[in-house]
Amino acid sequence: MLGKVLVVKTVRLIATLFAVSLLTFLLVEQLPGDPILAILPPGGLDDLETIERIRKELRLDDPVLTRYFRWAGDALQGDLGKSYITDQPVSDAIKDRIPVTMELALLATLIAAFLAIPIGAISAYREGGYFDRTMSAFTTAALSIPGFLAGIFFIWLFTLKFNWLPSTGWNRITDKGLLANLQTAILPAGALALAPLAINARLIRADMIGTLKEDYILSAKAKGLRDRYILMRHALRPSSLTAITVFALQLGGLIGGTVVIENVFALPGLGTRLISGIYQRDVVMIQGITLFIATVYVVVNALVDLLYAALDPRIRRQ
Amino acid sequence: MRSLSRRFGTAFLAMPLVVKIALMWLIFIVAAAIYSRLDRLFGQALPLQDPFYQPFLFGEARPVEGPSTAHYLGTDVLSRDNLARLLHGAWVSLIVAATVVSFGLVFGGFIGAFVGYTRGKVETVTMATLDVILAFPPLVLLLALVAVYKVRNLTMIALVFGVLGIPTYVRIARASTLGVAGREFVQAAEAIGTKRTAILFREIIPNIMPALFAYALINAGYVIVIEGTLSYLGLSVQIPEPTWGNMINEGRRDIRQTILPIFWPGLFLTLSVVSLNLVGDWLQQRVAVRSSAL
Repeated sequence: MLGKVLVVKTVRLIATLFAVSLLTFLLVEQLPGDPILAILPPGGLDDLETIERIRKELRLDDPVLTRYFRWAGDALQGDLGKSYITDQPVSDAIKDRIPVTMELALLATLIAAFLAIPIGAISAYREGGYFDRTMSAFTTAALSIPGFLAGIFFIWLFTLKFNWLPSTGWNRITDKGLLANLQTAILPAGALALAPLAINARLIRADMIGTLKEDYILSAKAKGLRDRYILMRHALRPSSLTAITVFALQLGGLIGGTVVIENVFALPGLGTRLISGIYQRDVVMIQGITLFIATVYVVVNALVDLLYAALDPRIRRQ
Repeated sequence: MRSLSRRFGTAFLAMPLVVKIALMWLIFIVAAAIYSRLDRLFGQALPLQDPFYQPFLFGEARPVEGPSTAHYLGTDVLSRDNLARLLHGAWVSLIVAATVVSFGLVFGGFIGAFVGYTRGKVETVTMATLDVILAFPPLVLLLALVAVYKVRNLTMIALVFGVLGIPTYVRIARASTLGVAGREFVQAAEAIGTKRTAILFREIIPNIMPALFAYALINAGYVIVIEGTLSYLGLSVQIPEPTWGNMINEGRRDIRQTILPIFWPGLFLTLSVVSLNLVGDWLQQRVAVRSSAL
């Protein structure tokens, strides 16, 4: 049964990836202006021979679909082409910058998870109480503040007002060690974590309010177990499945979310490279990074889907 | 007409206090946006300052001034009036959000109801196509799309947002249609030989609208955030046209002196999104109660 699901899902995944890559290619192909113009040396416009030669070299005169299949074929082998502007291979740019983006996304997920579980659990335990209402106001606010605004606010508060942390820039773990790295990573990760934190806290709260009404909780209480023990051992466990799925799902979304946060904090991540590529109208770079991010997003979502099906027998049967 | 206004009055009174405040803030923002637009159409005839005028060039004001009687909310980094720019920025957010919502309700609602009611191959193909668009992280797809255009004006930004917003509405409309299509009143209409088109427009669409509308409010908040993000990156409506996002971006230059030029657009942006979420949540709860009683 699971095998069949696996096959169907894999076929769908491949079809989606094909469509995503085609759309990415066609979209960016529409960029106005001849890519040649970006490559030519100043004053090279009259040099028709050079223009013709570069055209031939890059094979820009081939039909769109031919170029798509060449691009997609190379992409499958890990070659996303070379930037016309900086001459840097796109795959090198991604390799260079993905650690920053990945670390931010993972750190944000961790922050969101570690704070959301106690907030959700305590809110559910004292439903309608002071803590619950305060946290409900907090989650509403956290869901509504745009990430970039939270980032700027953090910079203003923690670096300009309190002078606790550096505002921008990035210390690599390999160069300066974990502590220096965390100093530069904690603010952007915190800004990134706000929205998922709020969503998780709400989900866990709603889930646990249901769980706490179950009979086995009542019998645990009747046995005289302490409330905290019941909350953490009996009530949280059935809710953890929902939580894990949501955390994993958000990881995909966070990779997109880092794009703007990296820009706010001027971090050398994939997002800043994508945006600078857009400013420079660097067709190959935009195509490559967009395809990469979309692929990660699609694959992570598909894996979560599978994981969920494998863990929860009710879904597997459907 | 009188009964309608009375019904609205009772509904308003029944709202919790926060939702009332939220709704009033939204009405204020819409009114402010329209006011700023009228001001521009009438060539600055209304009492509102010129959002592009830089008085410091003429020795009349300094950049990043604090609030004063000349500039109620102070001035920005180019000494332009913050209040005027905020209200003009509201127009951009309003138009983009309104476009997405109306495209979503009209096209998304119709397509979703149609494929959900007729099913078959058309449904499979439509949903698979839309899944491709939904397979991208929304911001990344928007970035790639917006990068295509050299000149980015409000019409173009609103259209791009509007078209990209449709798939989610189709999904929701289809899901609600699947729930409604099996109901007794639809079966009854089918049994007495009502045309399928008539069933679609008279039975299905009116019944999926409340759910779509509740989603639309929350979606509008999300759209305002995304537009603000693009604006912040300088990839939405181009400067000098004020948007809340590009005001925040420009305000960063003098963040060491004062946070006011960032604070105001940040506050307007956040309050608007909070309000849309609160009203949307409230409406969603009411819709859930209604449809379970249906």
